[in-house]
Amino acid sequence: MGGLMKEFFKGLWNDNPTFRLQIGLCPVLAVTSSALNGLGMGLATTFVLICSSVLISLLKNVIPSKVRIPCYIIVIATFSTIVDLVMHAFLPDLHRVLGIFIPLIVVNCILMGRAEAFASKNSVVSSALDGLGMGLGFTWALTLIGAIREILGSGSIFNHKFVADTAATFGFFSLPPGAFVTVGILIAGMNIISARLRKAS
Amino acid sequence: MNESVRMIVVLTVIAMVSGGLLAWVNDWTGAIISENQLQAMMASIQEVLPTATRVEILSSSPSTLVEEDPDQAREVEQATTEMFIGFDDNDRPVGYAFVGEGPGYGGAVRVLVGVDGASGKILGISIVSHAETPGLGSRIEEESFRSQFVGKTLNDPIALGRDIDALTGATVSSRAVVQAVRTGFEDASIAYERSR
Amino acid sequence: MELFYIFIGAVFVNNFVLVRFLGICPFMGVSKQTETALGMGLATTFVMVVSAALTWLLQWFVLEPFGLPFLQTPVFILSIASMVQLVEMFLNKTSPGLHRALGIYLPLITTNCAVLGFSLIAVQGAYSFIQSIIFGLGAGVGFTLALMLLAGIREEMQFADVPEPLKGIGIAFVIAGLLSLAFSGFSGLV
Repeated sequence: MGGLMKEFFKGLWNDNPTFRLQIGLCPVLAVTSSALNGLGMGLATTFVLICSSVLISLLKNVIPSKVRIPCYIIVIATFSTIVDLVMHAFLPDLHRVLGIFIPLIVVNCILMGRAEAFASKNSVVSSALDGLGMGLGFTWALTLIGAIREILGSGSIFNHKFVADTAATFGFFSLPPGAFVTVGILIAGMNIISARLRKAS
Repeated sequence: MNESVRMIVVLTVIAMVSGGLLAWVNDWTGAIISENQLQAMMASIQEVLPTATRVEILSSSPSTLVEEDPDQAREVEQATTEMFIGFDDNDRPVGYAFVGEGPGYGGAVRVLVGVDGASGKILGISIVSHAETPGLGSRIEEESFRSQFVGKTLNDPIALGRDIDALTGATVSSRAVVQAVRTGFEDASIAYERSR
Repeated sequence: MELFYIFIGAVFVNNFVLVRFLGICPFMGVSKQTETALGMGLATTFVMVVSAALTWLLQWFVLEPFGLPFLQTPVFILSIASMVQLVEMFLNKTSPGLHRALGIYLPLITTNCAVLGFSLIAVQGAYSFIQSIIFGLGAGVGFTLALMLLAGIREEMQFADVPEPLKGIGIAFVIAGLLSLAFSGFSGLV
């Protein structure tokens, strides 16, 4: 049981895809202009990650190793397209904001990375937990970055404005350059925290 | 089983299952998506043409446009592929709405413009879709910016710095809206006159 | 003239990396040295131009006529992946020199979201065949330019006294932010 929990928790901090592994960075910068967008993108990716991890783990003995990459691509692309279509139907506003970054889940390195490095070698249950952990690790990172950029850039949080309409905000953080700088400083912050934790233990 | 045969079989089966699954999901969501888009468009039309109780899509019957000069008629038809005519309770046309497009900072900005049929004045505009920067360019959606267009006719300049003030720090987005309003305005008014 | 605008727009105004945030992984991963950055950039440009042609043909001669645009994502990514594989084999056979220079980057390009992202944007923009290819060229040149700029600065940063926690990827992000700020000066140019 402890082993399974480890598969889940590693994605949240030690192997966090955004801050520690630095993979799947495009949506981290592109769709985090608000906390809600970050959360939506994170959950969409988590869904694709869990589904494809489970399926690839189930099929690991069926797929010949020479064609495993095309097979993974088809599986991941199918789930990304399903998310794309379902989101378009039921959450049209969010779908419009996330735009091409929903179909682009298919080329998110996290997906291929977990399929190749984990799901193709492990049991269904631990692959699902690995996917869930990695997905939620990605989600909290995106939501945090989105929240910081939204608070500084638009003076609101989860679309609730807490400053007057006329108040000046740091528009810089809504713009592309602000995305890069926010992520850079957050990574530095994570490094400081991790170094402290290492020293303490 | 021969290895290469197995590779082909596995790949083919996975691709077929994937294609089938997607076709089914597409069927299921397709109807909802187009229904949503229609609903959203109708709600926007209601906003910019408040007096209309019934709306007709003009481009669904382009033959009504083709009259004297076929070349010109085709042009009109193309420019106003998305045009709607509003009718009141007595089935009299009260005005029209059209969708214009302008190049914004993050892509095309699409604007729905409602025009009063009798006076030719703009009743209101509504942003259909845009990909502008949140907090800056996205302020084109704000009432204070959109209301500047109300009351303008084809005889007004409708230009930044003349009768429309640009949003601070979002000139490109503001210009896109101005251009979107202007594109198709003339064509739409001609098409409306002809349709009566 | 319109082709020129499309090209300039893709290189500067809507730079794929710094404004559209596509291809961030290789941008951060392969930007430690200008030499490797150039190799990666050229290989990506090449793949973008070829996939511009390929996905244009697929979209307008296969997906649209048969009413299958919902299969866009799987079809595009599979075709791009196979095409990259073929190009690698072809280069290996015909010009070993070029293969040595670009070969190691080619497999990485399949998961470069700039290529698939470019194909999806090109289809949305409903470009003509020639426009698509020019757009692909511009996108690739813009990617190479951003990559080279960051790599050049990062090479110099080795001699700078960067605070410990920011070392490596952290400072790279901050530099990229400043580059992006510089590129935002191009907005409204086209």
